[in-house]
Amino acid sequence: MRFPWTREADPYWDAFIQRDPFHPDNQVNNAIRAWPDGSVFPVKKDVHSPDVMSGHIKELARFLGAGITGIVRLPEGSEHPFGIVCAFQAEDDPAQARGHGGQAPVQNGLFVTFNLGAVIREMGYRATTKILVDAVQFAAAAGLGRLDGDGRLVTAQFGRKVHVADVVHTDLPLAPDGEAPA
Amino acid sequence: MALSIEPETPRKSSSVEFPIPDLGRTARIVGRVGNVDPQQLPHPQNMRGELGKALFNWMHSTISPDPLARVAFERHAADKNNVIRTTLMKAPKGQISPERVPVDDPAAMTRHIKRVARHLGADVIRIARSHPSFMYGGNPTDGLTTMGGDRPDGTPEDLVRRFPFVIVASKAWDYKLMQAHRHHIGDAAYDFTLERGNLLHSSIAGYVQDLGYHVLRGAMNPQAAALAAGAGELGRNGLIISEKFGPRIHLTDVIMTDLPLLPDKPIDLGVEDFCKVCRKCAVTCPTNSISFEGKQTYNGVEKYKIKWETCYKLRPYTVQYWAQCLTCATVCPYTKPNTWWRDLAIKSLQLTPIPLRPVVVRGLKWLDDRFWGTLPNKRVRWLDYDSGIKPGEKACTVAGCTASHGESQTTQAAGGSIGYYFPLKENTNRFTNRV
Repeated sequence: MRFPWTREADPYWDAFIQRDPFHPDNQVNNAIRAWPDGSVFPVKKDVHSPDVMSGHIKELARFLGAGITGIVRLPEGSEHPFGIVCAFQAEDDPAQARGHGGQAPVQNGLFVTFNLGAVIREMGYRATTKILVDAVQFAAAAGLGRLDGDGRLVTAQFGRKVHVADVVHTDLPLAPDGEAPA
Repeated sequence: MALSIEPETPRKSSSVEFPIPDLGRTARIVGRVGNVDPQQLPHPQNMRGELGKALFNWMHSTISPDPLARVAFERHAADKNNVIRTTLMKAPKGQISPERVPVDDPAAMTRHIKRVARHLGADVIRIARSHPSFMYGGNPTDGLTTMGGDRPDGTPEDLVRRFPFVIVASKAWDYKLMQAHRHHIGDAAYDFTLERGNLLHSSIAGYVQDLGYHVLRGAMNPQAAALAAGAGELGRNGLIISEKFGPRIHLTDVIMTDLPLLPDKPIDLGVEDFCKVCRKCAVTCPTNSISFEGKQTYNGVEKYKIKWETCYKLRPYTVQYWAQCLTCATVCPYTKPNTWWRDLAIKSLQLTPIPLRPVVVRGLKWLDDRFWGTLPNKRVRWLDYDSGIKPGEKACTVAGCTASHGESQTTQAAGGSIGYYFPLKENTNRFTNRV
């Protein structure tokens, strides 16, 4: 018997979440990730203050689809002084669930970080997602959550069901929520 | 936007194999329907310079002063590598899996595809049965309605036989931001949702290919498919008015497929009855592009028809201040937050017998004018944008800020809840007179 409020069985769902795509180009994630950064707009936009700009960046990330956003200050000597970290709700761990459904949080992350980086470049500041770092460590440093014994991020909003997108490195003046690990 | 262009060759709309499709109460096929050549759509016409110098320059030589618009709207980008649409258009197309997933129960597959689309971010997802009269009469090559896909050879009938079902998926614009119509804030709501929708379509199409089935994009008029699928009804403003979001949805593309699905049916939201009485979009349209009159029969379809030429020709004059007008979508009484009282209003209209609906419509219209205004002009503050500041003027938008900002931003934005709108209506008779 099925109650009216319960979902009918979906025989295709597990494959949608778990099964690797037949061809990698059937997912657009690789294409977005590999796309070269656009150029920086020649005229810099006025920044009221790092505090205000940080609020705007977090609001923009939320509008684009990010669950939670934090900012870290990168170690001295880094090419960019700040990193923007966005986390997304992920019912299934994208590291395990390789199907289209399992990779949906990754796609959300790519959409947000691509556009965040592009907007910052169009504001006249440098921004890139091409620098590979341990995004989960950065998320913990930005105060998005804490690391459990397995090194996984646990957030107040999503618990362990969370995906951290690539970090946006930038020289846009921001007010950091924490210090990035060296 | 609703764009009705000269059809290529009129065709018989009905046959034994392809009976006249039901498009609901707001649009009806009454004659021979020609397949519209996508090269005659406004953007391709403009790209060829057929709409005049001002519009040609607007499309080819204008960089938006707004950083968000330069990212979200490729026409006015400074560098197209900063626009995700460029990525999606140039992404490799993927391949169809040779191991086709068997579909014993199309109803189960339909439920699955709808669940998949919602999981990937769709706000509206419906299925239609393909029909030759929905097809474009050529291959769009400008990349606006297709993501680089080439249309296979064959007549519209052949293609409909090969791809008998249509997946209609859409994203809704942010309600709060679109209140700032004729403003960069409204542009952001519109354009980023458009990009998100493009990503959604690419994802669904890729998944269907993984199931072992073919997809075809950019080959069909999305509005016709949306009506047949029951994604909404066609309003006086030429927009598809959806059940949950009103006209604030994007219909950039649909996905034709041979995946066995169960088509939905057209819906009745009372748009037919509402648009007869309301006319709010026609009253407020800054270019007088929306008719006060009844429906027209155009290309064999009886429907409300807007004058796209005048709607389009405003753009070069306003590009410094906004890219998309959006007034007709914002003022539509169906554009409301997705709340229980909105559902209640629509349900009450649906449950009212059709002859009595004008009475209910007048009551709902009165409520709409009373609480949202005859021309909604709510002030929206978002990021460092403020629709209460006259475009072109600079003022600090940070609440409580008393700092001196030098010459560039000299004043603190004034209080109040009313947005600033150019008195366009009085100045745009030129758009009516020239067409």
